[in-house]
Amino acid sequence: MVAVVNSFLEELANLYLFVIRFFKEVFTPRYELSELAKQCFTIGYKSFPLVAITGFIMGLVLTIQSRPTMAEFGATSWLPAMVAVSIIREIGPVITALIFAGKVGSGIGAELASMKVTEQIDAMEVSGTNPYKYIVVTRVVAATLMLPLLVILGDAVGLYGAYVGVNIKGEVSWTLFWYNVFQKVVFSDVFPALVKTFFFGFSIAIISCYKGYSANSGTEGVGASANSSVVFGSLSIFVIDMLAVQITDLFFTP
Amino acid sequence: MKKSTGDKVKLGIFIVVSLMLFISGVYFLGKKQQLFGSTFRVVALFKDVSGLQIGNNVRFAGINVGVVKNIYLIADSTVRVEMVINDMNRKFMKKSLTAIVGADGLMGNKIMLLLPGVYTAALLENNDVITTAQPIGLDDILKKVKITSDNAASITGDLAAITKNVREGKGTLGKFIMDDKFADNIDHTFTNIKRGTDGFNNNMDAVSHSFFLKRFFKRKNKKALKAKLKVTKIEE
Repeated sequence: MVAVVNSFLEELANLYLFVIRFFKEVFTPRYELSELAKQCFTIGYKSFPLVAITGFIMGLVLTIQSRPTMAEFGATSWLPAMVAVSIIREIGPVITALIFAGKVGSGIGAELASMKVTEQIDAMEVSGTNPYKYIVVTRVVAATLMLPLLVILGDAVGLYGAYVGVNIKGEVSWTLFWYNVFQKVVFSDVFPALVKTFFFGFSIAIISCYKGYSANSGTEGVGASANSSVVFGSLSIFVIDMLAVQITDLFFTP
Repeated sequence: MKKSTGDKVKLGIFIVVSLMLFISGVYFLGKKQQLFGSTFRVVALFKDVSGLQIGNNVRFAGINVGVVKNIYLIADSTVRVEMVINDMNRKFMKKSLTAIVGADGLMGNKIMLLLPGVYTAALLENNDVITTAQPIGLDDILKKVKITSDNAASITGDLAAITKNVREGKGTLGKFIMDDKFADNIDHTFTNIKRGTDGFNNNMDAVSHSFFLKRFFKRKNKKALKAKLKVTKIEE
């Protein structure tokens, strides 16, 4: 029992040091801009199809599922607004971040772990490159910047899914749908939701990098770090989300 | 190297598209809140705004023309409501406008309704104060309903007292409906009347045969007979 607690605390301390190191390294030159662009491409652009499919289905399903309850109140005309608010405030950021953790988190975890166990990281250090800067900083920055963009796109596709969902059983024109959406959505729905996605992206990437960077030797280590990257990355999303909702509630509740 | 350039272009497109989406979303949200575009400000003073909130729509002729920008108390019984109105509709905003607080449906948000006044009035200037009318709140309606129901209660109370009296046989109506003695009396009265009229008939009979009036009745009979004969003759 004591050993479990100790190892947990040790892990936490190492992660903390890892984060501190990130902030130290991120602001000091030299900046690996070309590697950053490459990572942005792999992390952001290549995740888009996955995010788009998930977003579309979430919008569609949420609309269809909400319709009976709204119909009970005779409020089916509120469906676009309600679905839009739930997508923009919560579903969009969290679902996108979870998908992102599954795709990018496991990728980073496995990649860094295999680099570690095949001693590529050590080799890099010998050759004079700062492996932390080259591998970790670029990936974390890329993920932090790309996830918000993915969430915006995912929200847009999700709203399109909602539009399709509304039109399966009812008839709402394209203009009226967007009018309804923008009628009910306000800035305090959009900005807190967007700000928290930066934290989602950061935590997913930094946890995955940490897990990969500190992988144990052997191929087992690769699997284990890929696995725990996804698990802790997803968990961190929910923890951050819970904190974010408290803070939002504190400042933005009318 | 070539592939990497293509990737960068794709990444650029990805970033531009998502930022454009975000900016257009922000623009549409801001447009609704009248943050962009030229507007002018109108002030109305109310005693009670019955739950109007900042950001509620201002409606003129059924069209949203602006939003409520600011609400605050300036005295014990005066609430200052500032609204911004789209410049597009400025030429219809006359000084004779009346503002009232209405509701958007039974459960909907409060809205600020602007009612048109005199057609010839001058146009509103920025920060002009327009006249207001106190909205008919639910409280007022309930007050009226209370008066009506109080009246109804007193009426039904009176009715109850009357029926109680009737049941106890008090008063004319009560006697009429509930009193057996009264009914017997009426019965007796009718028997008496009947007896009286029988007696009267006998008296009349006796009178008609009496010496003084014999001639009168005979003459009357004769006249009637003659008239009858005449009629039969004409018929023939």
